[in-house]
Amino acid sequence: MKKFIISVLGKDRPGIIAAVTQVLFEQNFNIEDVSQTILQTQFSSILVVTGPDRMAPGMLCDLLSTRTSALNMHFHARELSADEGPWTACDCEHFVITTRGPDRKGLVAAITAVLADFNVNVTQLRAAFRGGDKPDHNVMIYEVDIPVDVDQGRLNAALKAKGEALGLEVNIQHQNIFEAINRI
Amino acid sequence: MLTHSEILSVLDMLHHEHLDLRTVTLGISLLDCASDDLQRFTTKIHDRIARKAERLVAVCDQVGEKYGIPVVNKRVSVSPVAVAAAPFNADQMVAVAHALDKAARAVNVDFIGGFTALVEKGMAVGDRALIDALPRALSETERLCASINVAASRAGINMDAILLLGRQIKAAAELTADRDGIACAKLCVFANIPQDVPFMAGAYLGIGEADAVINVGVSGPGVVKKAIDRALEASPGMDLRQVADLIKRTAYKVTRAGELIGREVAEGLGIPFGVVDLSLAPTPNVGDSVGEIFQSLGLLGIGVPGSTVALALLNDAVKKGGAFAGSNVGGLSGAFIPVSEDLNISRAVQDGHLTLEKLEAMTSVCSVGLDMVAIPGDTSPETLAAIIADEMAIGVINKKTTAARIIPVPGKKAGDYAHFGGLLGESIILPVNNARGDNPFIRRGGLIPSPIHSLTN
Repeated sequence: MKKFIISVLGKDRPGIIAAVTQVLFEQNFNIEDVSQTILQTQFSSILVVTGPDRMAPGMLCDLLSTRTSALNMHFHARELSADEGPWTACDCEHFVITTRGPDRKGLVAAITAVLADFNVNVTQLRAAFRGGDKPDHNVMIYEVDIPVDVDQGRLNAALKAKGEALGLEVNIQHQNIFEAINRI
Repeated sequence: MLTHSEILSVLDMLHHEHLDLRTVTLGISLLDCASDDLQRFTTKIHDRIARKAERLVAVCDQVGEKYGIPVVNKRVSVSPVAVAAAPFNADQMVAVAHALDKAARAVNVDFIGGFTALVEKGMAVGDRALIDALPRALSETERLCASINVAASRAGINMDAILLLGRQIKAAAELTADRDGIACAKLCVFANIPQDVPFMAGAYLGIGEADAVINVGVSGPGVVKKAIDRALEASPGMDLRQVADLIKRTAYKVTRAGELIGREVAEGLGIPFGVVDLSLAPTPNVGDSVGEIFQSLGLLGIGVPGSTVALALLNDAVKKGGAFAGSNVGGLSGAFIPVSEDLNISRAVQDGHLTLEKLEAMTSVCSVGLDMVAIPGDTSPETLAAIIADEMAIGVINKKTTAARIIPVPGKKAGDYAHFGGLLGESIILPVNNARGDNPFIRRGGLIPSPIHSLTN
């Protein structure tokens, strides 16, 4: 059996998942993992699947495009090798970074550049509010994995300094506090 | 994955509603430092505190930063000094007070509590020495806090101790007359004092406690007020059952934050975690007030008719939400109504909504008692003792903690202002009924027997 990762992108409408997974089922694929989201009017999904050895990524994309042509979706597929491990062997702590302040170009690039410098991995990135010049109305939420060997004090200072330069209020908090406060 | 609202609500609590962990208090036993050699004793207690609390502030700051919730106060409480230092006389007790103050500076905590005597049924030699030392001990130190338990539901009310304290409070005020009698702000007189209070001035480490323990005090009156404001804006027709439920859920959130941080601090220090004290403890900052909650509930100000029932609702809802959130709940656990420490309560006095008598009535349904109440400097020791005794009776009969932290402000009269500064705040001075009058009842002294319901065995 081969393992593949497939991405699906296109205008959202009912029936996309039904059509895509029907093709996979007919071709004897098993879905191991799936994630799906909708941004504004656009549908996006990634699937990790296992299927027959005869299948190649190009063939799979062609098959999916042909069989779902009425939906006008874009597909990309890649074979996953068995030895693809996680990005770091180091243990990570899960933190939530939030930035609050007026919207402008380059905010995400600047904040994530700091994170990249410190080898911090973004696992979820969301805009809680979009656009506008009211500081409280623009919040970006970065859920991140911070390796335990990262100097947290330096990272926090670098993020706060970058936030100040960009006119953003930056908060860095361990994920557990949100779960403790909001969940039983 | 966390939801938007989970993340944004926590941010709002932090940045707009003053959510913080009000205090992490490290209790340290001094009982095995016992010695009848003063030098030896003071050296041992200093070393014990310095060693045990060496990393307290650093670990609190580190954990606070990790969760983005500040630990505002880091404090130390010790075994009752009247027991640990029982062989010493009053002058030597003052030296012990200085040693504790010095240890508090050494470990950079803002207060150290435990200059304490438990005299609800009678006074031992050490207790008397400590009470005699109170005026000097509190006026010559900065960070030392004292508490005296003069009554208990199982023991009765020690009227001799209360009258003695009336005199000592007056003396302590006179010694700090240039600072509006601030020494008295560091002394709480208790009925039914809990062994694990993390809040000052009443914190001490009970005799039944372990060698060292971390107790935390959560706060959050601003969070409760904003939650009520938001809910009433969205649903103006909410009834009081729904309001109580809202407060309960809000207290749950605040307590969970406190317990998470407290446990991690305890783990970081390698010290057992004790209790979470679920109290709504205000500060003199706008938006961090218990008094403001009364206005959000629809009262003109704290003290007007309806205030006692509103406080009962608030106090009970906080306990219910907090008890569900915390695994070990203790201390005072209820709403505080300290007059000078809460800008809004202080203003309610000024506006004529709140009097000493109404304040006393309200303490029958909440934790603490007559807290940070400034009264005229010419109030007699007997009247002061009588006010304290009334407050103790409320605690003893209702099987709950009550306390009195009263400041007879030297040279000032009702309507004047007393300024204590910092967290202790400022307040208009409340008038006292029969302030200078004779009170033979109080002078009779003796032990008022414990109430009938103490016979539970």
